[in-house]
Amino acid sequence: MSIFSKNTPATENESSTSNEEVTQEQVAQEDFVASTSATEQVTRVDSSSRSSVLTKPSIISEGFTFEGTITSDGVLNIAGTVRGKITAKSVLIDSSGQVDGELNSEQLVIKGQLKGDVNCDDLNVGPLAHVDGNISYKYIHIQRGGRVAGKFIKN
Amino acid sequence: MAEVNQQGCLFVGEGVVLKGNFEVPDIASISGTVEGELTAKQVLIEATGTVRGKLTGESIDIRGEVNEYVSSSRSLIIRSTGKVTGSINYSEIEIEKGGHLHGDLHNLNPHS
Repeated sequence: MSIFSKNTPATENESSTSNEEVTQEQVAQEDFVASTSATEQVTRVDSSSRSSVLTKPSIISEGFTFEGTITSDGVLNIAGTVRGKITAKSVLIDSSGQVDGELNSEQLVIKGQLKGDVNCDDLNVGPLAHVDGNISYKYIHIQRGGRVAGKFIKN
Repeated sequence: MAEVNQQGCLFVGEGVVLKGNFEVPDIASISGTVEGELTAKQVLIEATGTVRGKLTGESIDIRGEVNEYVSSSRSLIIRSTGKVTGSINYSEIEIEKGGHLHGDLHNLNPHS
């Protein structure tokens, strides 16, 4: 709880506020720090999506292979391999991540490899990413060096 | 940059419509409309510029609109106001957020 000790000098100034209020404020700050660090990979964190951002991400770790269908209303981080269909609100394919199959999401960040059909609102392709497939999107950002091939359709 | 040495450059001003095939040894800066084939070392399609036809070059920077075909042997940048439809060949690509891309994308050297 190093964050509590770090905050102590600041809260001392507000000595007029009751102890209970101070604790609540600290908890709120800690929540915010936790949520931002968990989603630092996601490009856009606006206030409307914060409620979902506060939920913990589901993680497919490096070295882990998943075959089948994944459905989530929240954030999905893929550092391992997934073969199958993915539906989630926000998906991050990490640099070690591999996805082979259909992917539907609102926000998609690709740093690793993706093969298959993609349907997303907000697509961000990192500089080391490999993407191959049919992609339909609303907003796209491809960083220099990202390798993409296939059909692109803007909705 | 091109204003300093205009040798081998093509400038198409806003409102100008050019039809035909063009071979440009250096920079082609397009603010108007080009219909046909355009080949240049460096291509700049400004926000008001449009190319309908084939566009080929080493470095291509698109702020306007390109239809049908784009091939870039070095770098292809689609800016946030850019709109590209058709077949696209590239060796290095960058698309700014807001850029519009509709069509088939091919990497010219996929294994390097």
